[in-house]
Amino acid sequence: MFGIDLGKYRTIVISIALFLIFDLGVLVLNFFISSEIASDAVNVNLAGRQRMLTQRTAKLTLQLENRAAAGSGQATEMKELIAAFSLFDRTLAAFEQGGETAGGDGQPIHIAAVDDPVARTVLAEARRLWDPYQASIAAVIERGRADPETASELVRQAETANLPLLKLMNDLTTRVEELAASKATTLRAVQVAGISLATANFLIILFHFIRHLRESDRELERARRETDDILRTTQDGLFLLDGEGRIGSQFSSSLTRVLGTSQLAGRSFYEIISPAVTPKTLDTTREYIDLLLRHDVKEKLVVSLNPLECVEVNLAQGPGEAEVRYLQFGFNRVFEAGQVTHLLVTANDITRNVLLERELKASEERAKGQMGLLVEILQVEPATMNQFLRSAQDGLQHINRQLREQGSAREVGKETINSIYRIAHRVKGDASALGLTGLATSLHSLEDILSGLRERPALAGEDFLPVTVRVKGLFEEIEALYQAAGRVAQIRGVVSVEAPRPQHDPGVQALPFVQRWQAFAARLATEHDRRVELGYHGIDAETLPDPLRDALNSMVNQFIRNAIVHGIEDRETRRLRGKPETGRLSVYLSSREDGGVDLSFRDDGEGISVAKVREAAVRAGRLSKEEAAAMDSRRVVGLIFEPGLSTRDSVDEDGGRGAGLDTVKALVMQLGGQIRIGSTPGEYCHFRLSLGTLAPRAKAERSVQPQEEVVA
Amino acid sequence: MKRLMIVDDSNIIRSKIARALGEHGLEVVGLAPNGEDAVERCVSSRPDVITMDITMPGMDGIECIRRIRAVNPTVRILVVSALADKATAIQALKEGAQGFVCKPFTEHDLTEAIGELFSED
Repeated sequence: MFGIDLGKYRTIVISIALFLIFDLGVLVLNFFISSEIASDAVNVNLAGRQRMLTQRTAKLTLQLENRAAAGSGQATEMKELIAAFSLFDRTLAAFEQGGETAGGDGQPIHIAAVDDPVARTVLAEARRLWDPYQASIAAVIERGRADPETASELVRQAETANLPLLKLMNDLTTRVEELAASKATTLRAVQVAGISLATANFLIILFHFIRHLRESDRELERARRETDDILRTTQDGLFLLDGEGRIGSQFSSSLTRVLGTSQLAGRSFYEIISPAVTPKTLDTTREYIDLLLRHDVKEKLVVSLNPLECVEVNLAQGPGEAEVRYLQFGFNRVFEAGQVTHLLVTANDITRNVLLERELKASEERAKGQMGLLVEILQVEPATMNQFLRSAQDGLQHINRQLREQGSAREVGKETINSIYRIAHRVKGDASALGLTGLATSLHSLEDILSGLRERPALAGEDFLPVTVRVKGLFEEIEALYQAAGRVAQIRGVVSVEAPRPQHDPGVQALPFVQRWQAFAARLATEHDRRVELGYHGIDAETLPDPLRDALNSMVNQFIRNAIVHGIEDRETRRLRGKPETGRLSVYLSSREDGGVDLSFRDDGEGISVAKVREAAVRAGRLSKEEAAAMDSRRVVGLIFEPGLSTRDSVDEDGGRGAGLDTVKALVMQLGGQIRIGSTPGEYCHFRLSLGTLAPRAKAERSVQPQEEVVA
Repeated sequence: MKRLMIVDDSNIIRSKIARALGEHGLEVVGLAPNGEDAVERCVSSRPDVITMDITMPGMDGIECIRRIRAVNPTVRILVVSALADKATAIQALKEGAQGFVCKPFTEHDLTEAIGELFSED
């Protein structure tokens, strides 16, 4: 319409146009008819005046007759007669042909010729009667006065014409009134019709619009229901973010679950995520969202920079307990008229995916890490390891208790952090001392968290959630160590392995018995042109009961002798084997829970040559060649504890008589205990003794059979 | 032919980019080893596109983008950097870079990113 696309407004525009056309039509007709009614009213008035003029003319003829008979002046009557006569004549002519006459107020007035046939018949009849009457009056008027005969003749004419003229003028008046009344009726009909049409039009518009409103309401309602269904059933947390970073009023039900709160509408997104992310990530998020809201930067470019791809959230589950969840947020632009007005954000709990991924990675790591862990564990003596693990577990439990006590507290004192820190630091120190680097690193990160907390001005119980999470992890690590250590112990039951590496401890090295061993080793080494160094690690042997201490001293001396005479190679050989020129003897003594002690003696020399022992046994006449060849390696190695057996070719003060290790065996039997041997030819030899505390008399009932193992 | 300026403190990277994009139909009109040089040369060389390193001695890439934007609002800037963190990339885009490529990059990464830079969507 008019080249303008009216779209959905077409109907209303047409309706309004029709309404205006109806109104205008009614108005024009109204104007036309009412102006006709107005001129009819003038005609009624003039017709009425004609009636009056017939009477006045008749009355004046009578007065004129009286004056003429009395012979008195006729000037007044004549003047009035002229006025009445000419007014009637002019008006009659105007009715007949249209023209000018005087109005009620004496002003000239133009009227149209009467065209109604009935009225015209009346006028024709009036003309017929008026013409002779008019001629007589005109003759009298022309003469200026009337003599008695003329006056009588005039009266006679008036008597004849007056009544019919009166009746005719009366008829004219009635007829003109009828015409006006009929026009008024037409006018009313037009008005009623116009108003009816306008009303009908209005009703149509109303009906039409109500129907449309209902339809669009229904559509809106349907759309709303669909949106509601989507928001209620989707597994994604969905919401809209405005330019201020505020969450819109509509969001999916899952969002409540994902974010752990239902108080979301109108809240700042940054405020909600701030406890879960670092201040830097929060800043980056702000910048990122700003960037997305600017439409001049390409969306696919920005998407890869999402800083909230994986957010770790600690949710409080009760006093001092927390659950870790991982959330992923995705952002999409929402355009309106080509401008980015909002961001549609999806929030998902990806904990399961993250954990699965981690588990996969962890199992890979475990495959690699278990080796490392085993190596770490192997370097620690089992009793020490157990002692450490127990103490670490105690420490962690102590931390846990404190966390539980503080879990719900509104304010937490710095002393609690300090106390937790001290425990963590002690356990870390122990772990590093034992070479358990993995555990030490975990404890170090716990310390970092605690240092961070220490710097905060005020602390509430919930600030400790990350600590709780770490402690939980540490428990798991310790559990893993326990298990690994258990497995190592099983392995050790079969194979003796790498010795503990004594820690350098000047205090321990200064103990008198250690110094005696060192002096003895040094002297012996000089005599045999060797270089050795003896390191000691463990408890103070002086605190042990005398018999045990003395036995230990003898055994260590035997081991020193055995190592220097049979084990440690000359410097040239050592150099060729890639070993330090100075041989290393390591002594380690620890007490067990049951009151017994474990002694470990290791040298990094030749190790035990099974072949040489076999030869020695044959040479000493202990075995025939055949027996020796048939005997398995473990039993062959066990022969070194037999009296009178030495692998050394010549006898000297310090070896060769085969009277060293049998002494050790005797002592072990006396004390009640076990001997284990581990050795790799060319690398090391390691004796591990578990000694009881029972008095020599009581030990007779115990198994004292030494066990020998060898790593060939 | 699009005029290219390469801003990078590494000689090797500069020649790698020059070779890759030179073959891709860009005319290398400027090489700058640091931010200061880049701002200076940007006026005389009138490049259509700049590849920009972020970590450089002296003026860093972010500051350099800001200065170049002040004198040349139309030049397209592609960040080519070992972007250790997302925050730096976001910062670069905010300052007016239109794209980024992470080091180490392939020739394909570069040409694709340059193509994106001049695409209209």
